Amino acid sequence: MNGATSLVKSLEAAGVDVMFGIPGGAILPAYDPIFDSKIRHILVRHEQGAGHAATGYAQVSGRAGVCIATSGPGATNLVTPLADAAMDSVPLVAITGQVPSAAIGTDAFQEADIRGITMPFTKHNYLITDPAEIPRAIAEAFHIATTGRPGPVLVDIAKDALQKQTFFNWPASVSLKGYQPTVQPNAQSISDAAALITQSHRPVFYVGGGIMKANASKELREIAELLGAPVVTTLMALGSFPHSHPLHMGMPGMHGSVAAVTTLQKADLLITLGARFDDRVTGKLSTFAVNAKVIHCDIDPAEIGKNRFADVPVIGDLKHTLIALIPALKAALAKDRPDLSTWLRQVNNLKSTYPLGYDKPSDGSTSPQYVIERIGKLSAPDSIYVAGVGQHQMWAAQFVPYELPRTWLNSGGLGTMGYSVPAAMGAKVAAPDTTVWSIDGDGCFQMTNQELVTCALNNIPIKVAIINNESLGMVRQWQTLFYEGRYSNTNLESKRVPDFPKLADAMGCVGLSCDRPEDVDKTIEKALSINDQPVVVDFRVHRDAMVWPMVAAGTSNDDIMIAREMAPDWDSQEL
Amino acid sequence: MSKHILEVLVENSPGVLARVAGLFSRRAYNIDALTVGPTKDPAISKMQIDVDVEGHALEQVISQLDKLINVISIKEILPTNVKPASTDTQPDYQN
Repeated sequence: MNGATSLVKSLEAAGVDVMFGIPGGAILPAYDPIFDSKIRHILVRHEQGAGHAATGYAQVSGRAGVCIATSGPGATNLVTPLADAAMDSVPLVAITGQVPSAAIGTDAFQEADIRGITMPFTKHNYLITDPAEIPRAIAEAFHIATTGRPGPVLVDIAKDALQKQTFFNWPASVSLKGYQPTVQPNAQSISDAAALITQSHRPVFYVGGGIMKANASKELREIAELLGAPVVTTLMALGSFPHSHPLHMGMPGMHGSVAAVTTLQKADLLITLGARFDDRVTGKLSTFAVNAKVIHCDIDPAEIGKNRFADVPVIGDLKHTLIALIPALKAALAKDRPDLSTWLRQVNNLKSTYPLGYDKPSDGSTSPQYVIERIGKLSAPDSIYVAGVGQHQMWAAQFVPYELPRTWLNSGGLGTMGYSVPAAMGAKVAAPDTTVWSIDGDGCFQMTNQELVTCALNNIPIKVAIINNESLGMVRQWQTLFYEGRYSNTNLESKRVPDFPKLADAMGCVGLSCDRPEDVDKTIEKALSINDQPVVVDFRVHRDAMVWPMVAAGTSNDDIMIAREMAPDWDSQEL
Repeated sequence: MSKHILEVLVENSPGVLARVAGLFSRRAYNIDALTVGPTKDPAISKMQIDVDVEGHALEQVISQLDKLINVISIKEILPTNVKPASTDTQPDYQN
């Protein structure tokens, strides 16, 4: 067989059932055996769509997502989704064709050094010029992408390696000298963590996206209820702990709830589970949770002490860590249980005093938060929501009640506008019987909506709610707050052009429009009733709505504002 | 700032020098000197990297370097009269 057949057999051996891609010159040999393979190949309309779709698939299924593209521009179009997957630790395997090995380095037609380009934001990458190396490279790529801290791996294969004759030899196991992630936490660190928890009177579980990768939601709930301490879930962890749970204080960060932000600020112990002290969570780092000790549980040793000193680092898979920590903590609490009742009363008081809310526009137009809130209420409880980036993303994080893990997808680290539609496509492929909503902005939607054609042709009936405020809304909000309302280049005029329902119709989708608050429910019901075609709803909303609360960039979490020039009334709080 | 010397064993594979150099560049660590040479095993090369960082930053350099798949081991070479810097600031639970 040739290298291309060996590649496809390798992908089959790795358990791939679906991949997203577009053929082109250098990858063309691979597309011939793909034609005969049992692997479902979904022909996207842009390689960026392939990458984000693979990410959406991975985030919902927990398995590696796979995308495939040709050399040069095909490969460089994967750069954004690879960087996105690296920031959010998504297991992704990208296959790219490369010009023939003899032409590498000659500025050949459609040549780009994609291995060099993607080094900073792939977990690892390969350039394969010998067909005999294909099975091993693919096996290693899946091993690296899905173990330890997950991440994207790129395998670039020269065209002649795909064409040459070779033998298919799938490795029985993968062993890499330089890659042995620690899964099982060190016993001493577990007992140190348990001891530190029993000494704390104001502990909080600070939970990040790692909890999702480790599939440790059940263990999280168990340890949270065991200790009876408040829980905050970051943007990447929404759904890992039920929002309806009495211990849940909400999402911390720049647009987090007052309760979540303040619980972290006033804590004496952060029990950090798969979170990385990102600047959007900590605000000004030197003023973040200044009185707190830190237990930092993470599978990536490089996260320990990167932004914040850890008093007790625990390296390992979070599920294994929690399974070890729960009995250790149980034993420690049996001897010495701290009284957390004052702390719980204080944080619950914040939660009830400062719930998330919004004002209805005085002109009778629709508020964007209301649309998102109603979508969350009217859709089935297991529905999946995939946001773009901006105001609508924050409102979708705030106003949809997430009860289950892997029901909330977004581009958290890189903040990739245009993520939503293709990622929702990948999510729907992973969960075909589940309602998948793309909650998108009118700006984001105009970056990647061409994948709706892919959805229409491949029976991938996602639902898209365009929260159309005819603006780059988050940028506009910053212009309102920090640039004296000088709206430089944020007016998209998307209520005039394009006509979103017509555009949807042209792409083989059902296009709906909703202008008035009283029509919101029936429009959502209509969208929910259509399951044989993608649906796009143009929700035309008030353009001046803002995301609150807000910790302005670079300021302290202590300076959280609940509305413009309005801080919480700290004097009425005991904290 | 203080000088540290790291001895790094890497797989002798194409691009490995670019991976190490790129890591130092994008994480804004300074390299004072860098040498690469062979070992008895032709599949493994040895890098000596002289860095100019404080204790905490040194741990980050080592942890980030260790994430590179082609990096097999990292050892700090210490003057005989100095005790290891990497154990001062952080308990090492990494087995």
